[in-house]
Amino acid sequence: MQEVFTKSMARNIFLGSAVFFLIIYLALTYDTWQQIPVRDHADKITASVIRGKYLVDTNDCIGCHTINGEGSYYAPELDNVYKRRGPEFIKLWIPAQPSGVAGRRQMPHFNFTPAQIDDIVAYLQWLSNVDTNHWPPNIEG
Amino acid sequence: MKYQSQLVAKPYFIAALALFFGQIVFGLIAGMQFLDGTFLFSAAHFNIVRMTHTNLLIVWLLMAFMGAAYYIVPEEAQTELYSPKLALITFWVFLIAAALTVVGYLLVPYAHLAAITGNAIVPTMGRGYLEQPLPTKIGIVLVALSLLFNVTMTLIKGRKTSINLILVGALWGLALLFLPSFYFPEDTVKASYSWWWIVHGWVEGDWELILGALLGFILIKMTGVDREIVEKWLYIIMAMVLISGLVGIGHHYYYIGAPAYWIWLGSIFSAMEPIPFMLLIAFAFKMLFQRRREHPNKAAMLWAMGTPIMAFLGAGLWGFMITLAPAQYYIHGTNFTAAHGHLAFFGAYAMVSMAIISYAMPMLRGREANSVRAQHWEIAGFWIMVLSMIGIALALTGAGLVTAYLQRSGADPLGFMQVQDRARVFFWGREIAGAGFFTGLLVYLRSFFIQGEYQYTAQVKRALAT
Amino acid sequence: MHNALTADPLQQSRGQPLPGDFAIWVFIFAELTVFGVLFAAYAFTRSAHVDLFNASQLTLNRAYGFANTLLLLTSSYFVARALRAIKTGRNKACGNWLAGALGLGALFLLLKLIEFHQDFARGITLSANLFYMFYLSLTFFHFMHVAMGMIILAVVAVKAYAGRYTADRHTGVETGGSYWHMVDLVWILLFALVYVIH
Repeated sequence: MQEVFTKSMARNIFLGSAVFFLIIYLALTYDTWQQIPVRDHADKITASVIRGKYLVDTNDCIGCHTINGEGSYYAPELDNVYKRRGPEFIKLWIPAQPSGVAGRRQMPHFNFTPAQIDDIVAYLQWLSNVDTNHWPPNIEG
Repeated sequence: MKYQSQLVAKPYFIAALALFFGQIVFGLIAGMQFLDGTFLFSAAHFNIVRMTHTNLLIVWLLMAFMGAAYYIVPEEAQTELYSPKLALITFWVFLIAAALTVVGYLLVPYAHLAAITGNAIVPTMGRGYLEQPLPTKIGIVLVALSLLFNVTMTLIKGRKTSINLILVGALWGLALLFLPSFYFPEDTVKASYSWWWIVHGWVEGDWELILGALLGFILIKMTGVDREIVEKWLYIIMAMVLISGLVGIGHHYYYIGAPAYWIWLGSIFSAMEPIPFMLLIAFAFKMLFQRRREHPNKAAMLWAMGTPIMAFLGAGLWGFMITLAPAQYYIHGTNFTAAHGHLAFFGAYAMVSMAIISYAMPMLRGREANSVRAQHWEIAGFWIMVLSMIGIALALTGAGLVTAYLQRSGADPLGFMQVQDRARVFFWGREIAGAGFFTGLLVYLRSFFIQGEYQYTAQVKRALAT
Repeated sequence: MHNALTADPLQQSRGQPLPGDFAIWVFIFAELTVFGVLFAAYAFTRSAHVDLFNASQLTLNRAYGFANTLLLLTSSYFVARALRAIKTGRNKACGNWLAGALGLGALFLLLKLIEFHQDFARGITLSANLFYMFYLSLTFFHFMHVAMGMIILAVVAVKAYAGRYTADRHTGVETGGSYWHMVDLVWILLFALVYVIH
């Protein structure tokens, strides 16, 4: 009788696959890391974009919105909002919230200074130029 | 219960269920806000309600996993826990930190919370599931270190079973995978890419190992099937988790700015992610059919059998529907994803937590199984929660498909808010199913307040009489 | 072995069992499925971009590919000889044949690394075009398998030299050998599909 499939064999397959696929993933990640700055135009991440991103993060925008499809599904996609609405609309929209329309989803009022809103718009502009493999399918996000 | 120190699991389990209750309450509020956008607007805006809902989920699952570890590791190692006192201190630290964090969310505006907790020094806030301020994140690391120290020392001085090695190893993995939460690059694409190390690494990798270990432990105890067989299956299932899931992480990388090759690699490998869940079902039922004893705790057995099935539905089937790149092109970032998230988190991790709680709690309260009446309540709670969660998932799937059809495809796509209005009926469906889930939870929790233990003689008499 | 193990549904084999350990066959079938899906995806994509694929294919170095095919075929033969040796109880001969196979495997890796290096120098990356994406993914994934196969063969060879196998008990040799033949088989398919077929 042949030796049969033992527990240590199963364990070795488990550990082997762990190491094997981790190496593959790390190799791919290395390549991705080189590609990302090209695809998202990292050279265009200005100080203003960085400040804008910090505001977007610390006000938990993705608690309602999505950015590249990640976040919450309570409010519209922000990846292409710059192209959908344009900078002037955004600059008017944010300080005008909440709309107060009965029953409609409300966006809070954030007390941003005009300079801060410019930063947010700069971030959204940068975001709209990231190569996301043609996603979202159309301008509505 | 064989070792006195296993008792420290009890407060963990109780706190887990209390936090679970809180999670559902906030879930109902968030669901209501989809129907009435002004509901509680000034008191707790949707984003705050949502982060409380998701953070409570993570915390109660971690509580349950920790309780499970403190219960299982000594029993498997056949020795007392290294330091029950440390485990108890850790419990209170974790609970108080969680409570303070939630209070912070509810009372302090998020940007202000970021400002007063030093977020400017090490930015970490503002990512999904990782909304916690810096002190909480550091607290989580300390709690994890304390747990790891305690269980690893226990393991070292005791018997090293595969279940224990897998469980403790997976807990180490859980802690290590949390560390990227301190890395939040200014490049949004890199930030997304690395965020998935934590989220995918936990729920589609490491936690599946924990699930396997907990389920394996319960099945060994309840069916009396030989340990060698259970552990061998576990290794094979977990190998499949890694074979499919490690490169399968690519299914998060299609449309976030990562290179296009992830569309192929992610689709091919993640398409195999349902396989370990199918194996898990096959494994659980094989063990059930080969059982060598009838355990009186029918409720725990139901949870243990229900877990792989619901995990397959939520993580396997619903996950598969959105995993292939062409499908995800239309449903990425819609409520379809939320449907998958709800069914998978509940089916895999909430249910395995309730399975171990169902098995261990009677023991921790000094009996092998609860009275038949208590078990009836628990089983009723099981079915109401499971069916309600399927209802929630179906409703959210409907809402996601409305977005896919009206907003993402067609020559004349509608805007976001218009589409949300069209999906209203599904949001009602979700909220009603959510209320059903809440009812099920109350029924389930009621079972813990029914005293008495399983009466063998009475059951045998009744069985003979019929 | 144990009574308990006979209850294991995983090993209810009837009639002539597959050579080697059952687990490695589960693994081999899983691997072949992955490669199968990758090959199918390649063929599917090629049918939509025939010109691109044909043009890019010509830029590959077929001499390297052909040499590597010969290396792996020969190594497979060596592994078969190793198995024959252990069946007559000749542990040392078995180890020698395996060591030979390992040497050829190492040459394969070396040659493939040189080829990768030249590819990168010419600007071939995963993102260059769809053909190169498939070419690099498939060959790198296979490269990893050769490395994995070599680790397995090395363990088997060490055990053979240590006299751990007998004419009757040599599952390890059969298991490692089966895996190595699988790696070889996949390369032949890969070479034909990616380097040759137009």
